[in-house]
Amino acid sequence: MKRLREYIRLYFLIEAQYIKARLHYRADFFITSVGMVISSLATITVFWVLFDSITALAGWSFEEMVFIYGFYLIAISPMQIFFDHIWQLRFEVEDGRFIKYYFRPLNMMFYYMSEMFDIKGVVQLVVGIVLLIYASANLALSWTFGQILLLIAVLVGGALVQISLVVMAASTAFWIIDSWPVLSLTWKMREMAPYPMTIFSGAFRILFTFVIPVGFIAFYPSTLILRPGDVPMVAYFAPVIGLTTFALMYWVWSRGVNSYSGTGS
Amino acid sequence: MALIHTEDLSKHFKILNRRQGLAGSVRDLFSRDYRTVRAVDGVSFDIEPGEIVGYIGPNGAGKSTTIKMMTGILKPTSGTILVNGQVPYENRIRQARTMGVVFGQRSQLWWELPVIESFRILKEIYGVDQQSFDKQMAMFDSLVGIGELYSQQVRTLSLGQRMLCDITAAFLHNPSVVFLDEPTIGLDVSIKAKIRSLIEELNRAHNTTIILTTHDLGDVEALSRRLIIIDKGTILYDGSTEKVSDLVGSYRTLKVQLSQQDGGNLNDGVRDRFGEDDGVSVQPEEDGWTAITIDQGRVPLSDVLNHVMTTSQVADVRIEEISMESVVKRIYDGALR
Amino acid sequence: MRKYLAVLRGQMMRGLAYRSGFFISIVGNLVFIGVLYFLWRSVYSGRDQINGLTFDQTLLYVALGSTVFILLKTHVDWVMSFEIREGAVVIYLIKPVDYQMVMLTFSAGSSLLAAVIVTAPTIALLVWGLGIGWPIGVGTALAPLALILAFLISFCFDYSVGLSGFYTESMWGLGIVKDTLVVVLSGALIPLQFFPESLREILLWLPFQAVYHVPLMMITQPDRPLGVQLTALGVQVLWAVALFGLTRLFYSRAIRVLRIAGG
Repeated sequence: MKRLREYIRLYFLIEAQYIKARLHYRADFFITSVGMVISSLATITVFWVLFDSITALAGWSFEEMVFIYGFYLIAISPMQIFFDHIWQLRFEVEDGRFIKYYFRPLNMMFYYMSEMFDIKGVVQLVVGIVLLIYASANLALSWTFGQILLLIAVLVGGALVQISLVVMAASTAFWIIDSWPVLSLTWKMREMAPYPMTIFSGAFRILFTFVIPVGFIAFYPSTLILRPGDVPMVAYFAPVIGLTTFALMYWVWSRGVNSYSGTGS
Repeated sequence: MALIHTEDLSKHFKILNRRQGLAGSVRDLFSRDYRTVRAVDGVSFDIEPGEIVGYIGPNGAGKSTTIKMMTGILKPTSGTILVNGQVPYENRIRQARTMGVVFGQRSQLWWELPVIESFRILKEIYGVDQQSFDKQMAMFDSLVGIGELYSQQVRTLSLGQRMLCDITAAFLHNPSVVFLDEPTIGLDVSIKAKIRSLIEELNRAHNTTIILTTHDLGDVEALSRRLIIIDKGTILYDGSTEKVSDLVGSYRTLKVQLSQQDGGNLNDGVRDRFGEDDGVSVQPEEDGWTAITIDQGRVPLSDVLNHVMTTSQVADVRIEEISMESVVKRIYDGALR
Repeated sequence: MRKYLAVLRGQMMRGLAYRSGFFISIVGNLVFIGVLYFLWRSVYSGRDQINGLTFDQTLLYVALGSTVFILLKTHVDWVMSFEIREGAVVIYLIKPVDYQMVMLTFSAGSSLLAAVIVTAPTIALLVWGLGIGWPIGVGTALAPLALILAFLISFCFDYSVGLSGFYTESMWGLGIVKDTLVVVLSGALIPLQFFPESLREILLWLPFQAVYHVPLMMITQPDRPLGVQLTALGVQVLWAVALFGLTRLFYSRAIRVLRIAGG
């Protein structure tokens, strides 16, 4: 426990410095934030246009779709904030730079994470929260203490699923040279996350629920809050799925780290 | 007790023999054919606290692999290794607390942050108390004026400045052993001198053991009294640096490029005039140049140069110090016996 | 002219080397089309027509929209930002080539390759896998021309974002705004017929619809009156010319920045 506290303290120390350095570039911060807001709202705009012509999508109303989408943004923001540099992993592995992570008395995943704090991820988080609040107000959801705890729990679960999928895909770089396609495809899959899984049938439903479980990033957890009386069986597993994918990811990462011994002798 | 103790240390890697062509790749999927690479093969040495040891060898000799075992990153295939009385690979993190590492090729500092912030972060990571930290910083400032660099971002530093900062970072927590990998690469002579004296001073002040891996024989001569040469996974030489530098110092390589008109045979001409026993050997190189290695202890360079200039049509000439590979070859051939 | 063709050929060959990247684009696109199928089937659930479009027409439209997106994906903005940052852009300035033309042929090469590789399986999926009716008409013949014009317009957007690299380091932000605006406002994700009347009127005046809406309409509704289709092409031509002119102006301004600041 003492170690954990030390790590957290260390993390804040490092990131505080990093954020300070980044905020120095004011114009860049502004343009990037605006970009993030606009791109985050794209899908909502499409929904808004769509719902001009229909009243419900697979039984879900516009406000409910907004809720799920806000949930989605919040759930994917930790991945953005802490792991935006995961795209660079394969380059670091390839040219040997990655070896530097072994030499400090730090857990390697922690050290790796500490090198990144993407501020635009925070912007994404804020947009998500705003959308969530808007939707929940329009839906007149009641927020008991228990409900809020549940929300946080499933958000964390969803975030873990997103992070785990991406880091696992990127970790293939430890073993194969051309790992980019794996990462790219996994990344694209998450675009399906804000959609109700109930529109899918057969192979697709299985794909997004069990194979690449993006359904657990936003949709299934949201059903627990939006329609607690009418939850698909799978949704109850949401928190568990989050933890197990994270454990799996950490195992894959550790295997990769152990097998990597750098280039050259 | 020795600080670093290795006994019959070995590390073998299984490398996949990739088969050729498309059909080969498909076969590779089903049956894998491995060969064993003996990166480190039966290495033994003891390093005492406070020693500065040069650890050199050609590329692919096994240097990095040994170092990775000493730092706990790799687990040996067989043999013993103890650092500070402990087995390094049993606990990488515990091991890392007692070490410092400098990579000449790339920095370990936080790129976007001011130098002093990197130092402060390291202070927290290694658990250095404020008093010791201040004392260390003051020492570095008096030695090399590191204070001027505090507020600059690491990425804006010149190569020499960055190296000074990396060295400071490595010694900051007063480790018992520091590994320096190419610490002066790409630097000009005056900075090199500054860095060498910094390293010497740090070794003296804290009795830090230093392992120096480099291709720059100048570094080795200036800093280390003891030299270990490794080649193809085994130790070729473990003794005083002086003996080797005497050897190295006396050799020169004379490279000659003949003009188109010259029809004669340079190689035979030189061999006739100076024999192998005189310490002169001739080696044609692929790029059309001929390399003549001369042991100046036996035959003056000027004699050979004179001969070449008068008997051949020379287009271009270069004189070089002996390369690491040549040193190793010579030692292998028994030059030190 | 020959040198530009050489660049085009070179880029196509380079594209072939990144086979896995193409494979992923194809697989990703096919999966996405599958998702679109389910999504729109849900939207239509039972209804014959929405906003004057049948399910077949809409699905064909959005599926091709996502495919065209891949074809139009030039990496010009990223390449340029890299070259500008590293100073490599100077190499082009010394040579007797027109930088914009080089970038254009460079991206045309990869798009051409993508066009060949990606569209075949996509069409196969739509026609044979999902049984979508594919109407043929005059528009089908005009469509390739519309796509080329669309490419030119899209290139100008990317090129402009790339040029902004001379002024700012925030390429990501500008690029993402461009991407979002183009994709949402062009009718790529959702046919313009779905937009509310007033909004649609405005969007038809913007260049974005010339990139997606025009060619997609030509393919999905190829037997509209010839006059209508030719007008649409004409609008594309106007935008292409206008944007090309603007980007050239932008370029000469941007280069001045480089020459003054020293890069």
